[in-house]
Amino acid sequence: MTQKNRLDVNKSANKSSGRINVNKPISFRYGGKPYAGYEGDTVASALLANGVDIIGRSFKYSRPRGIVAAGAEEPNAILQMGATEATQVPNVRATQQELFEGLECKATNGWPNEDFDLMSYVGKVGGNVMSPGFYYKTFMYPQSMWKTYEKVIRKAAGFGRSPQENDPDIYDHIHRHCDVLIVGAGPAGLAAAAAAAQTGARVIIADEQAEFGGSLLHSTELIDAEKVQVWVDKIVAQLNNAPNVVCLSRSTVNGYHDHNFLTIHERRTDHIADFIAEAPKKTIRQRMHRVRAKTVLLATGAHERPLVFGNNDVPGSMLASAVSTYIHRYAVVPGKSLVLMTTNDYAYQTAIDWFYTGRKVVAVVDARANPQGQRVHQARELGITVIAGSAVIDVSGNHRVSGVKVASIDKSGEKITGEIKPLVCDTIASSGGWSPAVHLSCHTGSKPVWDEKILGFVPGKTIQKQLTAGGINGCYRLKACLQEGYQRGCKAATDAGFQQMPQPSFNDVIDVDEEPAMALFHIPHTEPTSRAPKQFVDLQNDVTAAGIEMATREGFESIEHVKRYTALGFGTDQGKLGNINGMAITAKSLNKSIPETGTTIFRPNYTPITFGAIAGRHCGELFDPKRYTAMHQWHEKNGALFEDVGQWKRPWYFPKTGETMQQALDRECLATRKSVGILDASTLGKIDIQGKDAREFLGRVYTNAWAKLAVGKCRYGLMCGEDGMVFDDGVTSCLGENHFLMTTTTGGAARVLEWLELYHQTEWSDMEVYFNSVTDHWATATISGPNSRQLLAELTNDIDLDKDNFKFMDWCEGTVAGVPARVYRISFTGELSFEINVQANYGMFVWEKLIEHGEKFNITPYGTETMHILRAEKGFIIAGQDTDGSVHPYDLNMGWAVSANKTFSFIGKRGMAREDCVRPNRKQLVGLKTNDPKQVIPEGSQAVNDPNQPLPMDMQGHITSSYWSANLGHSIAMGYIKGGINRMGEKVYYPQADGSVIEAEICSTIFLDPKGERQNV
Amino acid sequence: MSDIAVMDQVPDSQEVNAKAESPLFHIGAGINTHKDANSAGVLLQEDKLAGHLLIRGNRDDEAFNIAINNVLGTGLPKTLQCIYVDELSIRWVSPDEWLVICAGDKVYELEKRLRAAVQGHYAIVNVSGGQTLLVLSGDNVRDVLMKSTAYDVDDSNFPVGKVVTSTLAKSQAIICRRNEDVWELVIRRSFADYIWLWLEDASREFGLVVNSK
Repeated sequence: MTQKNRLDVNKSANKSSGRINVNKPISFRYGGKPYAGYEGDTVASALLANGVDIIGRSFKYSRPRGIVAAGAEEPNAILQMGATEATQVPNVRATQQELFEGLECKATNGWPNEDFDLMSYVGKVGGNVMSPGFYYKTFMYPQSMWKTYEKVIRKAAGFGRSPQENDPDIYDHIHRHCDVLIVGAGPAGLAAAAAAAQTGARVIIADEQAEFGGSLLHSTELIDAEKVQVWVDKIVAQLNNAPNVVCLSRSTVNGYHDHNFLTIHERRTDHIADFIAEAPKKTIRQRMHRVRAKTVLLATGAHERPLVFGNNDVPGSMLASAVSTYIHRYAVVPGKSLVLMTTNDYAYQTAIDWFYTGRKVVAVVDARANPQGQRVHQARELGITVIAGSAVIDVSGNHRVSGVKVASIDKSGEKITGEIKPLVCDTIASSGGWSPAVHLSCHTGSKPVWDEKILGFVPGKTIQKQLTAGGINGCYRLKACLQEGYQRGCKAATDAGFQQMPQPSFNDVIDVDEEPAMALFHIPHTEPTSRAPKQFVDLQNDVTAAGIEMATREGFESIEHVKRYTALGFGTDQGKLGNINGMAITAKSLNKSIPETGTTIFRPNYTPITFGAIAGRHCGELFDPKRYTAMHQWHEKNGALFEDVGQWKRPWYFPKTGETMQQALDRECLATRKSVGILDASTLGKIDIQGKDAREFLGRVYTNAWAKLAVGKCRYGLMCGEDGMVFDDGVTSCLGENHFLMTTTTGGAARVLEWLELYHQTEWSDMEVYFNSVTDHWATATISGPNSRQLLAELTNDIDLDKDNFKFMDWCEGTVAGVPARVYRISFTGELSFEINVQANYGMFVWEKLIEHGEKFNITPYGTETMHILRAEKGFIIAGQDTDGSVHPYDLNMGWAVSANKTFSFIGKRGMAREDCVRPNRKQLVGLKTNDPKQVIPEGSQAVNDPNQPLPMDMQGHITSSYWSANLGHSIAMGYIKGGINRMGEKVYYPQADGSVIEAEICSTIFLDPKGERQNV
Repeated sequence: MSDIAVMDQVPDSQEVNAKAESPLFHIGAGINTHKDANSAGVLLQEDKLAGHLLIRGNRDDEAFNIAINNVLGTGLPKTLQCIYVDELSIRWVSPDEWLVICAGDKVYELEKRLRAAVQGHYAIVNVSGGQTLLVLSGDNVRDVLMKSTAYDVDDSNFPVGKVVTSTLAKSQAIICRRNEDVWELVIRRSFADYIWLWLEDASREFGLVVNSK
């Protein structure tokens, strides 16, 4: 296809090719067909140049749709991009996507394709069939069928798809801080940036487009007697050279969050290639700038508002300003003959621009009775027909506009007053004025307010340090925009603490005089709205004026409800074009004013962004930190499988070749009890506590007594919340009279340290004690089993290992394998155990020595799973597995760990004495032995007293820990049973999902060595 | 036994000491993701096996300050400051907390001297095994930090001699600016591998060279 709508640069009146480079042709594919464009084109401008009219099918009625706008507000031209499966990107607006060589894209809507669309036959009759709430009303029953309906509906309507393969590109985040963040690099934004930059403030200016300039890129106005583009180039060069300014183009400020935190989505290679193969690791495709700004200046401009009239969605129906943009910026005239409908002077510029391309302006249809503005005169002088007091009420044509019907209307714009005259044209441009782009100002919760003077919503009151300038305030004239930009730029810098008064970057601007616009949104028709041809309000979601009127008739009065019922503004364009018209129609239909009807506020993101940019580098290996112990590489080399405990990677078990998990666990369990096992216990939380009040502090945070724990001794403690419920446990050792080492659960370490600090800093700040984490400092190798003493003896010559000199619950200092160590004789297995702690840099060395010397004892490394089994055989609890925040020490049958006789109270003392905590029949932790010794009750199983009781059954409690014990030759379990401690020997039943029932007997939690003889040897 | 258990945690034997493994011993030297090591934007070095001593105390207690000064040869750094003297560096960590980094084999000696000098309520904790010091230099270190921490690392907010503890990716670091283009990170041992992977990834677009010490 030729670029039939491309202006011949040499022949066009202004001899400008705009911002495209005609010396750099680019080929691309749209819908599988090849097309040509130029560097500087967007996909939209190139498709228009090639005369492509239909760019997709509408959401509900499958009507053919064409390009409407030239920027972020585009509702129709939504593309699926990507040359390969892995590089697929949905939701790309053709009006924003720059062209590059080899670009592949297609329309996202239309099944099987956008030119022949099955659904359009539904759409033809759809007027009456698919009313608002159609899906709710039609597909509601039967509910079970929804999953079937959904598949068909999704296929028929949708905006693209995500890739099925991993995205090979890199997306990342960067944090930025600045004094002044300017959003938008149009006239106001550039003038503001030029001013703020001079003060020395740190300035960031971001604009979503490929180059700075905004509306000036297609403007024919003058600044200081030169083309505005000259001024833009000058200011941009200044900003680029200023060390205190960061200029971000192709960067959409997509979210404005509390505390002046904003997110900017920068597209770094999306304009270069589908995928840059040379250096995939070094090229960042998209970057999310996370900006904290002292002051934010919004200079986001405004979006032109289309008018709502019959069949206003036929391809060839466009925004007036978009037409001008295509002509001036891309040297594209999107048609042969133009009818322009307007309510204001500004849009006349489009007819003038079109006229100068040498193509035909059929007429300007002005809704105002007697327009006399400067541009109106200019148009008339060029010989352009101006039909005043009239409107286009209907459009003919199916795949492209073929003509329009014009009729005179009354002063209020509510009725047709005259004959209908047809005009032949292929393009209908409309302008109903401008809607300030208030989106970002809304993100922090600020409600926009209606301004009758400009017939639009402007930013409302905000609690952010935020300023606004230019079009967002309804300030549309160039001179005023520049002045406001300059002033607010100065103020932004001053607010951020910079005093210097900068010079304005412009002197002389001559504005065109304009007359007031007419407040007109919805063009009347000879028929009532419900019978008139479809008048589209929201093109992306196929919301019509008739649909909105029906919603109000059905009783929806709140604009929020109208939106949800009709889907107005619910598309990926967030209703940038349709919302205000929709509110105006709602207001009219409810006989209220627009401010009375209210507005809705926009939410982030301003335009859709990729998940890649949101995730940044927090994916794959870097998704979450993995914490490793000093011995981790040994575990890996020796075949450990790992379990996540908090962020730690702990060995789970060490299977040998050919072993099943259960076989490995049986082997590890038996070897430990028979000879010696070794466990990496480095992950346990360790808190160093120093100070003369350390002991007293322990007494207050633990339930048991610490006053008499001698130096050299260790003690187990339970920690409870104020509610009396257990939240952590561990052994604390007295290292010195004023020095303790507390251990916590692996996952609870940070929480416990914060808990201690919380109480120290807020309640007991007079206590002389310091807490420091030493979790990472000590590497801990635990050897456990009858031969552990013999093994340790081989590696130390300065620790007296005699059973009477180094007793259970003692600790000693000495050297192990030549490394200074603290050895704790504490045990989580019930065996003779030594926990050997060394400075972590020596952890691997000592571990390997233990393995080397342990060989003759068949030393067996084991992981968390065997640890769980061995401790369960002894009835030791795991906080977090056997407790869940709802059990106190007595529920655990651990009243022995609560001291009622402490002089000062302890945390949880009152909590566990509450009425509910002392009532009978609380769930209590007991042991459970299955009738069939081979049966292992699944963890989580619920106990009942009578398996034959009809539903709902009386639940007695649940299983928290359950294992096969190779040492005992039968299964063991711990769980909660109501009043369980007094029900020893009774039977309970565990019905399973498959209908079977497991019978078990309530017993002590201590299955092995109840007297503790094995650990006290 | 005394009130506080203090212990020399470094083995006497040189042979054993040679087997010590710092948190990032495995990344070693010689990693170079850049064709020309001289033009790499980021140079990274682990200051391995140093002595790390945490001091806790009341900064308003004059005797405490004097005693520390007598041992370290300098007063404790003020809020958000770090000081380098001879073989020592001292970082402010929090209102009652400072980190002293010294040679790995001097840390026990230093702790004993401090304990002999300081009276009253204080704490000193040897955390040498629990953390390590990364030294980053090169033209693009600031860019890498901007990708890694939400803290403002601009000159205006982060002059030479400043130290903060802040987030680093999803972990944390004590971030210190030693020179115009030399930044130091103190990171926790268990997170070291994650942080290394993060920094390696964030540096890739600028080129990264790992030096050994």
